[in-house]
Amino acid sequence: MSTTDPATWVDAYGDRLFRYALSRVRDPGSAEDLLQDTFVIALKSRDRYKGESSELTWMTGILRNKIFEFYRSQAKDVPLLPSDEDPDLESEFFSGRHWSVAPRDWGGEPAVKAESAEFSAALRLCLSALSENVARAFILREMEGVAPKDAALELGVQPSHLAVLMYRARMRLRRCLERSYFATESA
Amino acid sequence: MSLLPSCRDVSKVLSDALDTGRPLGLHVRLHLSICETCRRVLSQFAVLRRGAARSTAEGPPLSAEAKARLRRFLGAP
Repeated sequence: MSTTDPATWVDAYGDRLFRYALSRVRDPGSAEDLLQDTFVIALKSRDRYKGESSELTWMTGILRNKIFEFYRSQAKDVPLLPSDEDPDLESEFFSGRHWSVAPRDWGGEPAVKAESAEFSAALRLCLSALSENVARAFILREMEGVAPKDAALELGVQPSHLAVLMYRARMRLRRCLERSYFATESA
Repeated sequence: MSLLPSCRDVSKVLSDALDTGRPLGLHVRLHLSICETCRRVLSQFAVLRRGAARSTAEGPPLSAEAKARLRRFLGAP
């Protein structure tokens, strides 16, 4: 068994693979490069494609590996932003024991809102405002479903630090969505 | 000093619990029972998780320019 004609791949899978990459690397240029790398590998290894999974699943697997490679190469090049290491980050959110700005009610049925395309767009924008390591921790865990131990390895951090990164991601995304997406909803 | 954990502590425990899957302890549950804000945060963390899991399929398509380039690369006419 071999693959379909590579000439059809862009039309069949281009948009879906691009969205997958873009939701994880956050910059369209890098997402396009990763997509091209994925097609290069798929082209080279198409004789080995056994048809055990769908072609899209097979290519998504290749893309996923390329994304992890990309993360690793970036982790070497990009020093952590100071905010990643700031031990007193919580003063952003708390004064003493309590919330400095109490999280608001998001109104309606939040779980239903999370299903909308607008929520996804708002989440992507908020993700792009996070520092690299915080965003990657969130992407690996919540989008990729990578186990905490493996996500820590991918990021080159201790599991305890992964928990810190996840906490920061959730707190900042929560606040960002409240200010952008949910603020306009209730206005 | 209060026996109950603070909102600051609870928010961390809620995030950790989502990652470890461990059940919340009695003190945290007591705090949640009297603190509407932290209950809200718990449900919002869950919304983030749900939204993130499905956001993969959303987003802009590949640009026409990139498509043309990749088609040429893959030998399309």
